[in-house]
Amino acid sequence: MPGTKQQSYNQGTPGRRFSLIFAGLLFILIVSFILDIFLGSVNIKISEIINTLLSGADGVTRQILFQFRLPKAITALMVGIALSTSGLQMQTLFRNPMAGPYVLGLSSGASLGVAFVIMGFSSNLSPDAIKGIGNWAIAVSSWIGAGLVMLLIMIISSKVKNIMTVLILGIMLSSGISAIVSIMQYFSNETMLKTYIVWTMGSLGNLTSSQLNVLVMSVMAGIFLCFLSVKMLNALIIGDEYSRSIGLNIRLSRIIIISGTSLLAGTVTAFCGPIGFIGVAVPHLARMIFKTSDHKILIPASILTGGIVMLISDIISQMPGSDNVLPVNSVTSLIGIPVVIWVLLRDQKRRDIF
Amino acid sequence: MGFAPGPETKGYLLMQSKRKEILSLINLELGFTSGKFRNRLLPPLNSCANECELIAVIGRNGIGKSTLLRTIAGLHRMLGGETIVENRNIIEYSRIQLSAKVGYISTEVVKASNMRVYDLVALGRFPYTNWLGITDNTDDEKIMDAIDKAGITGLIGRPISELSDGERQRAMIAMVLAQDTLLMVMDEPTAFLDISSKFELMHLLHELTRNRNKTIIFSTHDLGTAVREADKIWLLTDNGLREGAPEDLMIDGAFNNLFDESKVRFNAHDGTFYVNNEEKGQIYVTGKGEIRFWTEKALIRAGYKISGSQSEISVEAPSEPNNPWKCTTEEFSVEFNTIYEMINWIRDKNFTF
Repeated sequence: MPGTKQQSYNQGTPGRRFSLIFAGLLFILIVSFILDIFLGSVNIKISEIINTLLSGADGVTRQILFQFRLPKAITALMVGIALSTSGLQMQTLFRNPMAGPYVLGLSSGASLGVAFVIMGFSSNLSPDAIKGIGNWAIAVSSWIGAGLVMLLIMIISSKVKNIMTVLILGIMLSSGISAIVSIMQYFSNETMLKTYIVWTMGSLGNLTSSQLNVLVMSVMAGIFLCFLSVKMLNALIIGDEYSRSIGLNIRLSRIIIISGTSLLAGTVTAFCGPIGFIGVAVPHLARMIFKTSDHKILIPASILTGGIVMLISDIISQMPGSDNVLPVNSVTSLIGIPVVIWVLLRDQKRRDIF
Repeated sequence: MGFAPGPETKGYLLMQSKRKEILSLINLELGFTSGKFRNRLLPPLNSCANECELIAVIGRNGIGKSTLLRTIAGLHRMLGGETIVENRNIIEYSRIQLSAKVGYISTEVVKASNMRVYDLVALGRFPYTNWLGITDNTDDEKIMDAIDKAGITGLIGRPISELSDGERQRAMIAMVLAQDTLLMVMDEPTAFLDISSKFELMHLLHELTRNRNKTIIFSTHDLGTAVREADKIWLLTDNGLREGAPEDLMIDGAFNNLFDESKVRFNAHDGTFYVNNEEKGQIYVTGKGEIRFWTEKALIRAGYKISGSQSEISVEAPSEPNNPWKCTTEEFSVEFNTIYEMINWIRDKNFTF
């Protein structure tokens, strides 16, 4: 008897529908990736691109494609993946639909870490030495910064249950951190300041190939930790107490999830500057598309959706055909904010669930 | 839904005498520590629970019922003593081992959008699944069996945010059933439920202890339910824990000190509590059966005691429906169509004697 009921429930619900949606999303992701490479400030005809690829001749087109657009597209993909998966993990860990790396101040924490490296420790060093600090130092400092903010939010949200209060405290935290960074800017010399300001502007296109390596490796490690925590995340949905009673080691799961999110959000902030609202918005899009609470589905869904949204944001920010480039941060905000507002304005009954 | 008596039922009587001890509390000290400061809630507790028992935990608010239950589930640190579950102290179990021994349901409401009843119940398999939490056929069978036993087969694909209080409580029970523990601990399972869901839930708990080998410990404020349904009561007072069959405790007068006696009184005849109203006098009631019973109830609420012999005022409850109530005193003899009218009249006259 139980067997037949099981089948009737499963039939047509998860399995096949999910694989279809995944295939569709993957297709859109590939298309956006290719479009991101093809479209840009310089108009290159498709025939020309195919020609360059086939002939293998060295030329301007090849340079634009391989030295500029391809790394940029890969960066966009990584950023989208990293921010959305870290947002998903944070929302489940804090049981707060508004949680995300940018909103709760992880990005500012990461910038504080970077500011310390650029303006603090190296303030007695020559500008050449800063280059020597290396990409890993910047990455590690951003992880530490993001991780500390994450811990602080964890402590706050264990005392304060109201999600709006946690949100406001997150904003306060970001403002406080910005204030500290401003003070550091005030006391640092011109070269440091310039190095830091250029960093904060952030962009997807400024990464050197070695930076791209660090980014890709860190994001892969973060995604690995994220998949490691699938079962824990699924248990955490029902709340701390119940998740412990069904056998979750809550301390271990927090360590893994906090490390994963700090790694993901920190690295992205370190190399691309603060990019807002992808982390909050994309997990909601993933839930909306798949209508499930299972992180086995939601993590890959957020990876695909995040990649797509970020690639599309990048395409828009390049304003294909024109010489102007929009800051990518503005584009992601304009895409993400409506989703956040929609989540906030959903019917009251569902407001504090996610 | 019925449980056909199988071959096991025959051996049941024999087993009853040597039922296994599932849980024992030995000098258990409950409380909180903050820094060096130790705040012990109660004197050390000693008690035990056998296989297939339904145990109700009773006590006033704040006495430590929830803390006791959370301690048994391993969610709260013991200050001292031992909690033995299946022959081992719970601190010797790892979190995941303990979760295969003790299931726990609190008053907290699980809130999650997009989570379906099946998903929730499947989480009960957490201690048994691999690192990805993928359920195999055995797990699926246990999940479906739990859903079946909890009587929520029709709700299997329903989002948990759309369940009623009673349905949600059943879904939680199904989750704990899927967890496959011998001991289930529930904090006020009937708290939010309406009367019919409350009875259905108690029926379910009763059945789980009888036919599924479960031992269930639940806390409640509803003494009537506890006295009627529980095999044993753990009564928490400031002096510690008293245990026994509800009837034993009743005969011992253990319930009398449960509340402030000047305000609430326990009636050992029917196992209910009365709010102690100021007594205005005695009334003699005649009549039969149900109608007399409810007439007496109303008079007690109005502040009168039912006297055993003829008194200054007497009420005659009608023996047939639709006949009037007669109220006789030295001056009056009045008839009323409803109890309500009669009580109003008596209150207006404000007889005191």
